[in-house]
Amino acid sequence: MIKKLSGYRMVPVIGTAAIALSLTQVSAQEKTVITFSASHFAEVGRGDALREWVAKFNGSQDEIEVQPITIPFSSYASTIFTQMGGGAGPDLVRFDLPEFYAAANAGRLLPMDDVIDDAQYDFTSADAYMKVDDTRFGVVFDSANYALIYNADLLPGGEPPKDIDEFLEYAKAATGNDNYGFAYRATMAERGGVWYDVTNFVYGFGGRWSLPDGTPTFNSPEVVAGIEAYKQVYDAEVIPRGTDAATYRRMFWEGRVAMEIDNGGVATILTAQGAGKPIHASASPFPHPEQGMILAPVTINANTKAPDAAGTFLKWALEPEQQQELQQLLGAANVATVVERSDEELAANPWLAAYDAQTPNSVPALAQGLEEKSPEIQQIVVEQVLRVLQGGVSPQDAMDRVQEHVETRMLRR
Amino acid sequence: MNRSWAFHFRILAVLAVLGIAAFPVYWMAVTSMTSSEELFAGSPRLLPDPAQIGTYARALVSTPLLTWLGNSLIIALGTTALSLLLAILPAYALSRMSFRGKLLLALGLFVTQMLPEAMLVVPLYDIFSRFALLDSLTGLILANTAFAVPVVTWILKGAIDGIPTEIEEAARIDGCSRVGIVLTIVLPLIAPTLAAVTVIAFFQGWNEYVFAQTFISDESLKVASVGLASFVGELSTPMDTVTAVGLTYTLPAVVFYLLVQRYIVAGMTSGGVKG
Repeated sequence: MIKKLSGYRMVPVIGTAAIALSLTQVSAQEKTVITFSASHFAEVGRGDALREWVAKFNGSQDEIEVQPITIPFSSYASTIFTQMGGGAGPDLVRFDLPEFYAAANAGRLLPMDDVIDDAQYDFTSADAYMKVDDTRFGVVFDSANYALIYNADLLPGGEPPKDIDEFLEYAKAATGNDNYGFAYRATMAERGGVWYDVTNFVYGFGGRWSLPDGTPTFNSPEVVAGIEAYKQVYDAEVIPRGTDAATYRRMFWEGRVAMEIDNGGVATILTAQGAGKPIHASASPFPHPEQGMILAPVTINANTKAPDAAGTFLKWALEPEQQQELQQLLGAANVATVVERSDEELAANPWLAAYDAQTPNSVPALAQGLEEKSPEIQQIVVEQVLRVLQGGVSPQDAMDRVQEHVETRMLRR
Repeated sequence: MNRSWAFHFRILAVLAVLGIAAFPVYWMAVTSMTSSEELFAGSPRLLPDPAQIGTYARALVSTPLLTWLGNSLIIALGTTALSLLLAILPAYALSRMSFRGKLLLALGLFVTQMLPEAMLVVPLYDIFSRFALLDSLTGLILANTAFAVPVVTWILKGAIDGIPTEIEEAARIDGCSRVGIVLTIVLPLIAPTLAAVTVIAFFQGWNEYVFAQTFISDESLKVASVGLASFVGELSTPMDTVTAVGLTYTLPAVVFYLLVQRYIVAGMTSGGVKG
């Protein structure tokens, strides 16, 4: 069937191929290609669904194509900041809130006031955090509340603890036979995660890292009480010490950890791994209902060569249909605008109710008024908390040191 | 009797050290072939479960693992070739020639090794951006070569120092040029060292992470070290897949080492016989 073509016969073939190739190139060049980085893209399950969501946008556009960029979570922020500092980086970037403020204050993000008209959208309350000095630098991509998830089989009567004493009692009872009563992070290798875990304890005991005007309150009685409780759990020997979050979450799913306080994204991923092991959730067992919250904005890189294309994608993402779809694929998370959950969704995932009920009590895990200092504050607090856990330093002394450090070295007071 | 006991003790000690060195690799193999339920069981599984061999097939099908490995191989071989090319003549010059600033040049090479990659990544990114070297394997080869060349140069200089100058003088009397001396006399004599620096340069390119992570955004140009890290997620990490991919990632490097290692040993042995 396949014949060799003689030299002169090859000419029209090559010519046709060259014309076809050049036409393809022209067509490809006509599209403005922009990149979108989010650590979600690397996640099992949600990553593929999110890529499909982006592909839906690409299918609806003749002139713009969005390419998802995968960056390993462990080096996500440092990689993005390096690229931005070098005058490049992805056009659209999903940041965690601490990095968002750092990037906005460093002038690395494009203001969005001309792109997003607030009056057109029914934004959730979390949208208030998307503005720095009254200028919008992002829109919420996803926000997730924290709640207690538990393996009913490992708890007395299958019921969650109602207060901190009951919590410790249940955790101790569940520990043994290679099982653990609770799990949280306690290593510098997972600094960001420790920060969220500690913040949940601090908020749960009525503390805040600062006052709204930015006055630091790292050594207030409530904050110290939260750190003491964190230490109490550590000393009770009910956690798999040194185990990273990805591993203990898997252990939880395998029924080896009785309880953990985690965000809705985790519950969604665990649920996606198999319906045979249903998730249970309830409010965290602390004296106060407030807990931290994951809040991740999507932003436009100030280095982008295609701000209009980036804006077009954001406007598409904020359409009600896309928001509904995004919220559904993200699971126990909220998106930028108010989206009601369907009855089917709630019936399929009863634990969603506990996460949704937490919404009014969710507070971003940041020192208010000191947002742009978040990465440094995280470092100092986590260092001192680990000294409390592993170095025998008292919670009061450790938090006094944090307060002094922030006041004298960071705020120069 | 005593000699026999000492011999057996030495064998046991060697086996123990080998066991300690090989155990992490063995444990990766066991983990990659253990089901999730058994992975977190109270009593860990000590032998791999052949029924879980599908993890490797799934990793190959569901990830662009072969592309990642191919890119890593291009970078490692490119780094090795370029490093050797750029290091041989400077090493010879530092060993054999006298010129102004020689000490400064030698120390300068050392100083470049004192700067961590993380410190250089921002200025390098800026430079690469200006020269359109981002998102290219050529750019990564250049970056890795910059780190490999000083080490390779110093090691080769040390090896050339050990060659008697009389051999070169005899060649020169016979009319051999400087470059001819380097290529036909010096290089064969330092073959074991060349093999050793080949391994060093190869592993510099094969294992590098920071530059590869920062300079490459195009998914089709990703290297294996970055691809492997991408499995470690924010919310979950599939341990069996990670260890399966990790083990696959080490294999080409091990094969390369075994190929080159023959020359290192052969060179050492021949030197010993000649006395």
